[in-house]
Amino acid sequence: MTGIIDVSQLVKTYGDGTKAVKGISFNVSEGEFFGFLGPNGAGKSTTIKILTTLLRKTSGSATVAGFDVETDGPKIRKMIGVQNQDTVVDEDLTGRENMILQGEMHQMHGQALRERVDQLFKIVDLVDAADKRAGFYSGGMKKRLDLATTLVHDPKILFLDEPTTGLDPQSRAAIWAYLKRLNEQGITIFITTQYLEEVDRLCRRLAIVDLGEIVAQGSPAELKQEIGADSISLGFENTTVNGGETREKARQVLEKRFDGVSNIVNSDIGLTVYAKNGSFLVPELVRAFDEDGIRLSSITVSSPTLDDVFLKHTGKRIRVEEVSSANYRGMFARRRR
Amino acid sequence: MSFLSDSFHLFVRWMKKLVRNPILIFFSLFQPVIFLVLFTQLFSKFGQLLGPGVSYTVFATAGIVLQNAFSSAFQSGTAVVDDIKSGFLTKMLATPVNRSAILFGRIMSDAFRVVAQTVIILALAYPLGVFPETGVIGYVLIILTVAFFGLAWSGISLALGLKTKSAETVFGIAGFLTFPLLFMSTALVGQKVMPDWMQTVSSYNPISFAVNAIRNLITGCTPDLSNCAIGYDWSTILQAYGVIALIGIITLGATLYLFRKVVS
Repeated sequence: MTGIIDVSQLVKTYGDGTKAVKGISFNVSEGEFFGFLGPNGAGKSTTIKILTTLLRKTSGSATVAGFDVETDGPKIRKMIGVQNQDTVVDEDLTGRENMILQGEMHQMHGQALRERVDQLFKIVDLVDAADKRAGFYSGGMKKRLDLATTLVHDPKILFLDEPTTGLDPQSRAAIWAYLKRLNEQGITIFITTQYLEEVDRLCRRLAIVDLGEIVAQGSPAELKQEIGADSISLGFENTTVNGGETREKARQVLEKRFDGVSNIVNSDIGLTVYAKNGSFLVPELVRAFDEDGIRLSSITVSSPTLDDVFLKHTGKRIRVEEVSSANYRGMFARRRR
Repeated sequence: MSFLSDSFHLFVRWMKKLVRNPILIFFSLFQPVIFLVLFTQLFSKFGQLLGPGVSYTVFATAGIVLQNAFSSAFQSGTAVVDDIKSGFLTKMLATPVNRSAILFGRIMSDAFRVVAQTVIILALAYPLGVFPETGVIGYVLIILTVAFFGLAWSGISLALGLKTKSAETVFGIAGFLTFPLLFMSTALVGQKVMPDWMQTVSSYNPISFAVNAIRNLITGCTPDLSNCAIGYDWSTILQAYGVIALIGIITLGATLYLFRKVVS
């Protein structure tokens, strides 16, 4: 019990009987960049709401910065910055007024507040737009302003729920760069996101939740290593073959003829299988499928990614991958990430 | 104390939002001004029915002032619904800001707005021959009465907003209530020209109480215009305050209760 966030056997059951969180336990150390991942409806937002004192837990315990979420709400609120999934700024106020108001709600005032606000506008590159109404900002600018407002009171812990969803790649990269810098300055970051590449790069540790339970936790490297095999993603040309489902036929072929293949999972385009030295298996796979009349539209081999970790533990890809002929490009190629 | 300073900062937020959306003030002033300028002319001869030498414009101003307070107070709930929908309320709740101040700042801004609009209406009514017989203190008391009335009624709107979380519903109910309540009160005609059943209804209509007090302050007459030498008719004024206080306690109590539920 030494983490800056300690969660033990946390349960949340809503009034209508929905069990959103079913006894999760984890802790986050001070200064950590912690990823909290899971499919929609896994219980991520519920957990964040409990930790940020916006929702009451049903049972279990949770402390943030050493304070109990149940009894010490006001003390916790002074220590944390919270960014919601939706961008929340008052569009009738200027950027600066939004920031000042946020500071005032944290009981800041005067010169100290004004200086802090100036400093934050520099950090999020909004100096020129500071005195324009937020309603005139672009989506990316609003998001940056929203992020900046959560930082006014110099929080120790930042809770971010999908901070970059819906942003263009440039704005996304900018936000991640700010977050990296903030973390380097010692702020603990607790984040939910769909962008696994960024998680892989920045999060020191992560937990994957599914259906209200934690199904895996560790560092990205540990989790990928756990998979221990390359993933081979197979796309089929037709959904049915010889009167049967292609997926099922292919699954039978794999189970009968390939001992080295483990963990066959359905994917959006067909199947994903795991095997050591996956690329050596490709010619054999193609031949075997061909003999049974199963025509492949694509075959992609990659070393384990967090996406694979996610798929293995939740049975779902974190986001819907586009099915297109572009998958041909991956044919026989070995992707390294 | 953070309650007062937080309330003040949030009050300032609402004021800025109001000033930057002048169309809102325009729309809520439009109707009372039309009533003041056109409706009173349309019914100008009606004054004679109410009593010898009674100017209908002078008579109706009290009702128009109240109608304005009534309809702008009803916009309060939609603003809170907006804050719930946009997530701004959640954002505020994640800070140490005083919980009650979130409501109080809004209610104060409602009261301020009603006062400002009342001043505009009274200023427009002045050249039409409307000025309180009770003088400057009369003006002050009118504004105070309207402010309290606005506070109490914005409570209904806030409670509806918090309960239904739908701006359309708040608007719908407001539109549904405004005219029946107004017409079945002493806002636009005196009781003696009403049919019997409506006289009964209007005696219990809370709007009548507030209108009677304001009308007394403007005309210096008793509510039935029988005695115009009375000046301040304290029993009418105090009754009005009693009724407004009662409504305020009920509506703001309900609002506070519903807000607590939303907050926790």
